[in-house]
Amino acid sequence: MNYLLIFESTHHVMKAEKLLLAAGFRLDIISTPKEISSACGLSIRMKPENTDLEMVRLVLTENGLTFNIHEKK
Amino acid sequence: MKTVDARGKLCPVPLIMTKKALTEMSENETLEVLLDNDTSAKNVTRMLEEFRMSVSLTKNGNIFKLTVTKTGEVPENSHAEDFCEIENQEISNYVIAFQRNTLGEGNADLGIILLKAFVNTLPEVNAKPRKMVFLNAGIFLAINDSPVLEALKTLENMGTEILVCGTCLDFYEKKNELAVGKVSNMYDILEVLATAGSVLYP
Repeated sequence: MNYLLIFESTHHVMKAEKLLLAAGFRLDIISTPKEISSACGLSIRMKPENTDLEMVRLVLTENGLTFNIHEKK
Repeated sequence: MKTVDARGKLCPVPLIMTKKALTEMSENETLEVLLDNDTSAKNVTRMLEEFRMSVSLTKNGNIFKLTVTKTGEVPENSHAEDFCEIENQEISNYVIAFQRNTLGEGNADLGIILLKAFVNTLPEVNAKPRKMVFLNAGIFLAINDSPVLEALKTLENMGTEILVCGTCLDFYEKKNELAVGKVSNMYDILEVLATAGSVLYP
């Protein structure tokens, strides 16, 4: 299972990627799976074992980004 | 709830049974499909996902149980047989030639993030490339600090052969940093490209 972070736009994904990497998180950029309808074709995939979701939320919301978190097998 | 018991049936029978059952069901009704092998489970799942219906899979011993709710109409023009794929045939006869470390032309940051999404999505798709070739600045994708190293290693483990241009590694002084695939030369690379069913240039 992985976390998928879904954003409103490509610009938000790019901004979130920079912020999370700068904060020391590990992540992958992946195409948003077809079953998740989204305005944005890119999303961020993170592994639960090295991801503190609360910290992720903090970093992103502090910077004015809104997003949804999905869990994907 | 309706049940389709496709145990002991070989492809494409489980697909046809599942599609037929779904076609006859009314919307929001739930269907259970029983299967006895992983390949059938994958094939049926792929078909249902193509139908845009979400599937859950449970495994009990050697029995696979797929549960799906009919959330829309079954596409009339879909052919159940098309989803019949036999294990190990998931690698198709196409080659991807990475000639740079971005995807497409335009904004550089966008090119980089698109490339990451492209490569990271490859392990998830059914039609995996037979080989991947890395040329010129494409070699930066195959070295230690590549942003897509993990996905490339996954693909290599799945059977995709990775060839990296030796001249290019040498030019960029990255020969010691190669992290995936094998060093190759123009003869081999040319032959790979020339004999591929098709070549993608991201």
